[in-house]
Amino acid sequence: MARNNNNIVIGIAGSGGDGVISAGEILVNAASSDGLFVFMLKSYGAQIRGGESSVRVRMSSEPVATQGDKLDILVVFSWKDFLKFQSEMLLEDHVVILSDLEDSFPEENIPIPADKLKNWYKVPFNQLATDAAGTSLAKNIAMLGVISELFNLPKTALEKSIKKKFGGKRKDIVEMNLNALKAGRDYVKKDIEKKDSVLFEYTPGEPRIVMEGNEATAFGALYAGVEFYAGYPITPSTEIMHWLSVYLPRYNGVVIQMEDELASINAVVGASFAGRKAMTATSGPGISLMSEGIGLAGMAELPIVVINVQRGGPSTGLPTKTEQADLMQAIWGSHGDAPRVVIAPSDVEDCFDCTVLAFYIAEKYQLPVIVLSDAFIGHRKESINPNRIRDLKYGFKKINRRITPTEKELEDYHRFKVTKNGISPVTWPGMENGMYQAAGIEHDEKGFPSSDVSVHAGMTKKRWEKFREIKREFSFERFYGPDDAELGIIAWGSTKGAVKEAVARANANGIKVQAIIPQILYPFLIQPFHDFLVNKKRVIFVEMAYAGAFRRYLRGFVRFGDFGVETVSYRQTGGIPFTVGQIYDKIVEEYEKKDA
Amino acid sequence: MDEAKYSLKDYKSDLKPIWCPGCGDYGVLNALMQALVKLQIPPHKMALVSGIGCSSRLPGYVNTYGFNGIHGRVIPLATGVKLSNPDIKVIAVGGDGDGFSIGAGHIPHAARKNIDITYIVMNNNIYGLTKGQASPTTPVGEQTKTTFYGNMDEPINPVRMMIAYKASFVARVFSGDPKNTIDVISRAIQHRGFSFVEVLSPCPTFRGMEQFKLIREKVRPLPEDYQPTDEVRAFEIANDNDFIRLGVIYRQDRPIYTDIMRKMQQVSEKMGKPEILDLLKQFEP
Repeated sequence: MARNNNNIVIGIAGSGGDGVISAGEILVNAASSDGLFVFMLKSYGAQIRGGESSVRVRMSSEPVATQGDKLDILVVFSWKDFLKFQSEMLLEDHVVILSDLEDSFPEENIPIPADKLKNWYKVPFNQLATDAAGTSLAKNIAMLGVISELFNLPKTALEKSIKKKFGGKRKDIVEMNLNALKAGRDYVKKDIEKKDSVLFEYTPGEPRIVMEGNEATAFGALYAGVEFYAGYPITPSTEIMHWLSVYLPRYNGVVIQMEDELASINAVVGASFAGRKAMTATSGPGISLMSEGIGLAGMAELPIVVINVQRGGPSTGLPTKTEQADLMQAIWGSHGDAPRVVIAPSDVEDCFDCTVLAFYIAEKYQLPVIVLSDAFIGHRKESINPNRIRDLKYGFKKINRRITPTEKELEDYHRFKVTKNGISPVTWPGMENGMYQAAGIEHDEKGFPSSDVSVHAGMTKKRWEKFREIKREFSFERFYGPDDAELGIIAWGSTKGAVKEAVARANANGIKVQAIIPQILYPFLIQPFHDFLVNKKRVIFVEMAYAGAFRRYLRGFVRFGDFGVETVSYRQTGGIPFTVGQIYDKIVEEYEKKDA
Repeated sequence: MDEAKYSLKDYKSDLKPIWCPGCGDYGVLNALMQALVKLQIPPHKMALVSGIGCSSRLPGYVNTYGFNGIHGRVIPLATGVKLSNPDIKVIAVGGDGDGFSIGAGHIPHAARKNIDITYIVMNNNIYGLTKGQASPTTPVGEQTKTTFYGNMDEPINPVRMMIAYKASFVARVFSGDPKNTIDVISRAIQHRGFSFVEVLSPCPTFRGMEQFKLIREKVRPLPEDYQPTDEVRAFEIANDNDFIRLGVIYRQDRPIYTDIMRKMQQVSEKMGKPEILDLLKQFEP
């Protein structure tokens, strides 16, 4: 594909001590300072701390929805570490490679075909840093000097970004790093004869803010008025707790690290019982442990928000890598008929939206809400439109707390009063005359335990009635592409980026296709799917889960056959996100079948 | 003294206990309600939290905010309530199975954090609700429905375990001894910090009527000069195989979690408390 000069993808691979991630962050901040849209993705080995790490930075003067399929620029501090990432770091034909001159890795073992090695510069990153800064630790900064000069990346902004990064430390550390940066630039001017064609072109604009998905989730929670967070560290969700543990106490909130996920979820349920807006965040293994507690919140009709930043499974699985295989667990993952709402963010900005939405729904409907994020969203940085957050698309200016009884209702208080929409006013400890017993055991309207089958039938119905109202209140489907397209794509969560870009590319090339990406997954809002299917002949389900849970789930609600729609499943196991190219090729493949 | 505002009837709920005749838990319920009368805790300013088991039904019998949660999770549930509203008196109750088997992993953490709750364990050395299986405090050799050839496991000594976990208040009482039980439960509720009360609460249905008799024969008050702040002495009392000593066996004054939490909140507020949307600044490049 022809090079697009205002869009560039850079990959950096090395070991833990090479400063790979720091370099990526500094670069992203510099690009954002200059008003560029960015997308940054980190990737680690399973050991999380130490070991190999890589980062990928995409910058563009146009909005970007993915990390970009292939690298325009590859920086390798150590080829040995690159080997671990070769399946996720695909290279453009015109790729420019920069590696450390001192790396003794045998060239014949480098797993890159010769035609992609034509633009290969061996640069003494280590030496440049040692000479200029007195320490090889600054080699990542020397590298930034080299690439910024060689490819016309932001320069002044890079200096600003370095000052910000090291500004809190000793003054000489900032100096040392600026020296390393300059050494990198000078090296290009003096010692490199540019033989490649990669050159970034852009006009600097107003700075943009950048957030990680997990930060956006935490920020959304604080915005929604969270008051209590109990959790247990687990990759890839822990950053949510990190952020809240800094900010929540300032607003009189509580963040407590519990001994395990069983304790975390029960503390959250206890806090909600005490009237607080309460949440936790975890990943698959933690959700498995929390399942009983989530069911308790459903039974006791207490609002809680549970974030699942999905990772590859089953069991310990792929702690640092992404997958979408927890869908069925989120929807059905407790014993008994236990209603809960499941919503899925599709990018970083949406992490904010979904978390705010989760609190809104939880508090209004008094039930657990699960937010299904994943490692791909949680661990990436994206440009955010701050005005969009300030305006709040959905108009939830205020996330109201659950409704409380009137004084008259308190005269003969029925905590679990059967109402038309299933929502009954709730009290909490401290409120006079509002005493009741919450319970995991089936109970009557007053809260007293009961095994009476008619009570169970009535209360089960009451708890599920809330779904009717939720379905009436919301319709959040997102459509991309023309309505009259005969080919459709149904995807959810983090696959949105690749689907969205592939759909845009296909339509630009005259291949009509439309995608739908639901945000609320459960309860199932059927109408938008019916609208979507009116003109469709063939639909592709895209998901990152081997067993195709999403496809099975959809087919439980939508009678595709009645619409005369043929369905195709396109899925892969987790680890590496879908590329735009993959989805595009699939679109073309299915599109061509229409005439067959 | 002014006339007491709350009497026994204010704490009694409309629900009638369904424990077996002769169950030790009746004595505990009664003692707890007497203690509440004594301390005049307003019913709406407390929460009575439990897990699963015969004894975990107790919150339903008291007119207050109650939460009958899931098996083994009474301590984190109570922790969540207390931290959310430190002005509420939080009392956790349950049995030996709920606390020392399925829920045992939570106890050291509430103890070391010194969460200001009272934890009353009604110990009957058996699983009663599921009709007679071995519990973590069932004596060695005992035949139960799951230990047909005799229980093989060394029982847990709750008092010794709690002292080792540095629970800041550790006591043992006998449900057949109401006066002492009321007194000790009252002191546990008044204690600032994590207070633990083991109540020997016999199960006539699955352990036989002689359990009452056996306990009554072995119980003794603490020695007259006893100082509960002496940890070594407390362990000696806990380890005593000849007699079961009743009373406050160990006590320690330590800062409580919610006080520390409030201080931390004050410290954190000094670091700035802007409008929440202004926090977006930190994400500027």
